[in-house]
Amino acid sequence: MAVSTPILGIAVLIYLMVIFYLGWLGYKQTKSTEDFMVAGRKVNPLVLAVSYGATFISTSAIVGFGGYAGAFGMGVLWLVFMNIFVGIFLAFVLFGKRTRRLGVNLGAVTFPELIGRRFQSRFIQGFSGILITVFMPLYAGSVLIGGARFMETALNIDYNSAVLILAVIVAAYVITGGLIAVMYTDALQGALMFVGMGILLVLTYIKLGGVVESHQALTNMAHLVPANLAAVGHTGWTSMPVFGSPTWWTLVSTIILGVGVGVLAQPQLAVRFMTVKDTRSLNRAVLSGGPFILMMAGVAYVVGALSNVHFLATRGVISLDAAGGNIDKIIPEYISSAMPDYFVIFFLLTLLAAAMSTLSSQFHTMGTAIGHDLYREFLMKGKIGKTVTVTKLGIAVTIVMSVVLAYILPFSVIARATAIFFGLCAAAFLPMYTGALFWKRMTKEGAIASLLIGTFTSLFWLTFVHAKEASALGISKMLFGVDTILTGTWTVVDPILIATPLAFLTAIIVSLMTVPSPQEHIDLCFKNSAINEMHSNTVEL
Amino acid sequence: MLGIDDPQIWIAYLLCFLSAIGCIIYGMIHWNDGGENEEGC
Repeated sequence: MAVSTPILGIAVLIYLMVIFYLGWLGYKQTKSTEDFMVAGRKVNPLVLAVSYGATFISTSAIVGFGGYAGAFGMGVLWLVFMNIFVGIFLAFVLFGKRTRRLGVNLGAVTFPELIGRRFQSRFIQGFSGILITVFMPLYAGSVLIGGARFMETALNIDYNSAVLILAVIVAAYVITGGLIAVMYTDALQGALMFVGMGILLVLTYIKLGGVVESHQALTNMAHLVPANLAAVGHTGWTSMPVFGSPTWWTLVSTIILGVGVGVLAQPQLAVRFMTVKDTRSLNRAVLSGGPFILMMAGVAYVVGALSNVHFLATRGVISLDAAGGNIDKIIPEYISSAMPDYFVIFFLLTLLAAAMSTLSSQFHTMGTAIGHDLYREFLMKGKIGKTVTVTKLGIAVTIVMSVVLAYILPFSVIARATAIFFGLCAAAFLPMYTGALFWKRMTKEGAIASLLIGTFTSLFWLTFVHAKEASALGISKMLFGVDTILTGTWTVVDPILIATPLAFLTAIIVSLMTVPSPQEHIDLCFKNSAINEMHSNTVEL
Repeated sequence: MLGIDDPQIWIAYLLCFLSAIGCIIYGMIHWNDGGENEEGC
């Protein structure tokens, strides 16, 4: 690469200095546990929206899912629609307002604590904490891979060193600054991402001859789909895969539904709702949140797909071949070969921002899951003990786990690993989270049953039925001598389609069969609920 | 439409923009809702 190293070094240095300055400001403002956990519950709406968006969208979305669009085309634009409609609109308007209220009423500072206190169960809090600790590194690892692949391709840095550099930078300010630091640096990083992705979109369309012209050129490439991909349903980059084919199922069930719905039950995003002062901030945040996601995910997927036109014109190959068959390298390869040098540097900062903003929240969530949810509330029954030390230790341990995963996970893994984590969250958390907010009749037993059924059905399906993971893990082969215990279409249906409905059903049936929570507790949970918003859509039995 | 033949794709392309515009409109309409009766929470 022709990128000048001194200029790059200076740019990264200035950027990091600003980030650390903001982190330090956050550290100075962090005086109480509530500050560290939920930023004192008084965060500005624009900061909330951009911080939420920057956390939501990471190198996993830009590099991983952008690369997926490069390989499989624009069908993934449905995920952008889901990200905006479900991930922003429904999340803020339906879930956000009630989450904030419940969080305040119960004094909850983490997502597991919110659910645990709503159902008066330390088990729920502890188990959710364990789930986050064990599986979120898969997602954090994917984000690290996304950032590191770009550094590897664009800057010729060794991949393993790139993973380490990224992890160390993020660790430094999360461990010190808590959530205030995380949210303010997120907001700056979000602004940077917005500008970076905007330029990327404009440059790409200009380079390829215009909006309609570039789409048309991509449409005309349908005959270039490799035979092995065509055989599993790939029909081109501007058309959906063949209905019911393996590619269709992966796109629709794993990518679009898994990530599109799973976002509602993401602990590191839900905790954001507990940081704002009032419902008004949530309404205002919708305004900037929607366009922000459009500019992030929308641009990444459109550009990812269009990279095929660029590589065909310049090298006579499709993107997947240009990236050596590794989906995760399509976006880095495209940026470094198609964009001017100054933009490569700027885009590196954009990606660094995207990775850091997501990683910092993930590490913060995992650290509090271990220190607060698991250690303090579950093991110590509420006694503070060594919570702060355990939290910081927890952050350190989960960072190590994520780095190790970033080293050992295979190629083309970012989008899949992210989707697995989102799908697991949907199955395990979404039914009890939805019930906690909208259904007063839901009981502790119903919540615990749905948590366990959602979790274990998902894991069972991944281990024994869903072919991609089941055959890679090899547990089914070892126990039963077959890659998957079911055959045919089942092996391409994502766990989310099986486990989430089952967990919802379990929640309803078990709740109706068990004794309701005491009325005083329900009153406490839902007290002072803005009369107009509560009564309109609470289900009461 | 837009150089894309498959309606399942161009509809998604348009929906992305429409949903983002929807968010802007929602935010503007409800800009001042939900602040007053919540003081002291």
